Amino acid sequence: MDTLIQQGINAISLGAIYSLFALGYAMVFSILGVLNLAHSAIFMLGAFFGLIAIDQWSLPLWLAFPIAMLGAGLVSVGLELVAFRPLRRRNAARISQLISSIGAAILIVNITQLIFRQIYNSTEAYLPRDLIPSDPIVIESLGLRVQPVRMLIVVIALVLMVLLQYLVNRVRIGQHMRAVAFNQRIAALFGINVSRIFIFTFFLAGVLGGAAGMFYGVVFLNVTPFIGEDVALIGLTAIVLGGMGSIPGAVLGGFLVAGLQIFSIVIGGSSFRNAVVFLLLFIILLIRPQGLLGQPESTRA
Amino acid sequence: MRKVCLALSFLLIGVLALPVLAQDMETPQMGWWDECATPENLPDTVTIGVVFGLSGPISVYGGPQQQAVQLAVDEINESGYLGEGTTLVAMFEDSAGDAEQAIAAMTKLVEEDQVVAVIGPTLSTEAFSADPVAQENGTVVMGVSNTAIGLTDMGDFVFRDSLPESSVIPGTIAQATEVLGLEKVGVLYGNDDDFTLSGYDVFVQALEDNNVAITNEQTFARGDVDFNPQLTALLADEPDALVVSALAAEAVQIITQARDLGYEGPIIGGNGLNSPSVLEQSGDASNGVIVGAAWNIASPDPLSEVWVSNYQAAYDATPDQFATQAYTGAWLMATAIRCGDSADRTAVRDALAAIQDFPTPLGTFSFDEDRNPVHTPVVQIAQNGAFGVLGAEE
Amino acid sequence: MDAVLTPLLDILRPIGITEPVLQFMLVNAILGVSIYLTLHAGMFSLASAGFMAIGAYVGALLTQQSDWPLWAALLGGMAAAGVIAVPIGLPTLRLRDIYLAIATIGFGEVVRVLILNFDDIAASVLTTLQGERVRFRLIEGARGIKGIPTLTETWHLILFLIVLGYLLTRLHRSRFGRAMAAIRQDETVAANMGINVVYVKNMVFILSAVLAGAAGVFSAHLTRIITPAAFGFDKAVDILAFAVLGGTSTWIGPIVGAMVLTAMPEVLRFLKEFRGVFNGLVLLVVIVYLPGGLVNPAGWSRLWQRLGRAQTASPSPSTGVD
Repeated sequence: MDTLIQQGINAISLGAIYSLFALGYAMVFSILGVLNLAHSAIFMLGAFFGLIAIDQWSLPLWLAFPIAMLGAGLVSVGLELVAFRPLRRRNAARISQLISSIGAAILIVNITQLIFRQIYNSTEAYLPRDLIPSDPIVIESLGLRVQPVRMLIVVIALVLMVLLQYLVNRVRIGQHMRAVAFNQRIAALFGINVSRIFIFTFFLAGVLGGAAGMFYGVVFLNVTPFIGEDVALIGLTAIVLGGMGSIPGAVLGGFLVAGLQIFSIVIGGSSFRNAVVFLLLFIILLIRPQGLLGQPESTRA
Repeated sequence: MRKVCLALSFLLIGVLALPVLAQDMETPQMGWWDECATPENLPDTVTIGVVFGLSGPISVYGGPQQQAVQLAVDEINESGYLGEGTTLVAMFEDSAGDAEQAIAAMTKLVEEDQVVAVIGPTLSTEAFSADPVAQENGTVVMGVSNTAIGLTDMGDFVFRDSLPESSVIPGTIAQATEVLGLEKVGVLYGNDDDFTLSGYDVFVQALEDNNVAITNEQTFARGDVDFNPQLTALLADEPDALVVSALAAEAVQIITQARDLGYEGPIIGGNGLNSPSVLEQSGDASNGVIVGAAWNIASPDPLSEVWVSNYQAAYDATPDQFATQAYTGAWLMATAIRCGDSADRTAVRDALAAIQDFPTPLGTFSFDEDRNPVHTPVVQIAQNGAFGVLGAEE
Repeated sequence: MDAVLTPLLDILRPIGITEPVLQFMLVNAILGVSIYLTLHAGMFSLASAGFMAIGAYVGALLTQQSDWPLWAALLGGMAAAGVIAVPIGLPTLRLRDIYLAIATIGFGEVVRVLILNFDDIAASVLTTLQGERVRFRLIEGARGIKGIPTLTETWHLILFLIVLGYLLTRLHRSRFGRAMAAIRQDETVAANMGINVVYVKNMVFILSAVLAGAAGVFSAHLTRIITPAAFGFDKAVDILAFAVLGGTSTWIGPIVGAMVLTAMPEVLRFLKEFRGVFNGLVLLVVIVYLPGGLVNPAGWSRLWQRLGRAQTASPSPSTGVD
């Protein structure tokens, strides 16, 4: 029982990072209908900017966070301008946009690799160990040991998610985003500046991806130019599982994937955890092809 | 017995290094300066090829290896090891950890650039695909981080200076069992990586040989960072020790997360845990980490100390075991060229195979008849952020 | 064949394309065609990497363990991939677009995990059956199958591609080929036209799997070692890039795309540590300026016009919403 609760906590803190990362994928998809495979590179940049801010500029953590998020958001806007907008202008197939995002991802990762070499003379670096108090909170009665930072991450992640939900549903620019997601042409007719909405969406997606990357760096301390590759597939799975383009779906998907992975470890199948995740994904897709919280395809424009 | 061996090998190093020491008491220098005459028949430039994983995740290992070889080449040229007027050139190619690129890089070096010999590739899986290219062309290829079983069976031009796991781990387990009185352990290993899986194979065999029970086995994948789920499952059985077959980045996480979960017992690992970053990054958590490895940063060998300080001076970083083996590999290759007094591929092969009792940072080094390395591995335990000999602290 | 090949390699070698590189280019060309087939029938399937793994493992076991000749192993690997494609395709191909892509990626991931754990699974099954602990080593998990004989020769690949090209030309002119094109245009309309959509889609999926299986067999007999890591998510995405960079309007496109993308890292070796940056840059620039791919005359002429316009210094057309 004790282990089960402990594992539950593990799942929640991992799920928070996955969800935050998946949100960025989901937002871009809901608006453009395109997968932005460079989002994993943005995630990595979040961790990288955080590392630079803390390790090179000696900034405190609370200042490094917004820097990492802002930096990742700006690069994400750059992606829209360089890899997506020119293709949309040429009416290119969505699949071409997918490939251009791969090209952009390769570019970002390789440039970061060069910068890593310059600064650290290696392709990995560590955040300082004393960055966050690592003494775990011990709850003897339950036999639990919880890292405060992990709980903090869950809290911050949830706050960011609620803020996002508020923004999309209650604030004007969020309503414009939903209008553009529903139908670009109609939105343009209503006087919405569609390209500005695109930029704003990429910025938000980048900020969330950057936050996820920064969390990842803070919890695990190890940062390399390749950490994005580890979450790329997980993020994709999460949004498909939750329902493409659905914001609550991405959050649910992220927690579900983390929960499933950890559940497979608990039942003694750590070697099979990704197979378990994908089998469930497969079954869900067969029953509900639009994902758990997604709308059926016909209602989307 | 082991201590006697160790003492003997130090004695041997001392005797072998004596002539050099006589020249310069301060810093012992590598190389067979007296065993082989200064070569006279070498061309102006002798080019060796080097295939390492210089991009992608593998570059964490390949990068330092490249620097180590470059350092060795610079030392060799500055000291005139290959004779007046002969320059050793290392031609580096990136294999990116990929079998196809390793084959392409090896083919380029061996067939197009006509190098004398090749050092690398970084991964065993790359070596199994690329080394036959060198073998077919009658060119020496020396692995400096390949630990998989059966590597040198590929042919008489395939060498390695990296001890296979099978010659390190059994000693580690035997010694740990004796000192710590192990009865049951939990095993955690990476099962999607050749290096960690081979290590696991040998660990399981060694544990069985020493009658240590395995309470639970858990796996992880390369790039994993959260080991809490696996560790929680393993620790539920209250093992006497955790046996971990992992590479450095994962090892750091495993060690710190195990300690965070309240585990205070020993953590036993292979080559992968033997990286400076493991000690630096896990801090106090590393207390009680036991590593059996071909080489350790704490090695008291004078050549090793010189190597470490030279590397630190050149790159402002601490070398790991794979970099040390790469450095040693370059010196071994240069020694074969010097002693063979020839840049002919077959002559280099023969001279390399003949190397016996060569002083290196790894200790006194020989090749056996299968072109595998022979030298004494070390079993160490981390205490207060530094490695020491296991069993000596009590 | 050597009379053609030797001079060809003499031309290619100075730019970094040695015979093994050419061989990998040709193997990847087969993979390009494999994914092209599914894309051409309107299916966004990323299953080729998984079927390539199946072909590679079956083929390697047949030549190494059972001493089959390459041609027989090739047929075996292709058959295995094709047979497995049936139960995978039937339920999966109902999905569309990105959902199909993810489901097929999932298939590849499951294949990879099964290869990693195959020996353990077999060992535990045998242990339960026999009541005592059994050790089982056949496909070696992450260690990989080693020492696979290098039976693939360049002319095998060239011959295979020539035959493939001939068959593809025939296919496109056939009823079946027209049915594929119709499904890509609009599935519902195609069904109304009396096309058996389920049959056509599944057949195409199987054909695509068979080709990927063939590429796997050829590849395994070039690289000498196969590990599950070589057939993961990265490979699936690479294969997609072959087809899209080359252009999916004709079957030549994916072949060209595969060959260019495979040759590029080798040709760019002189750039040393800047190789990866250029690789990404080239991919990005090519796709942005030629969204229809390299083999797409309309795209080139449009690019040519744009360049011409740029020279006459006319301002770029104002942009509204696309």
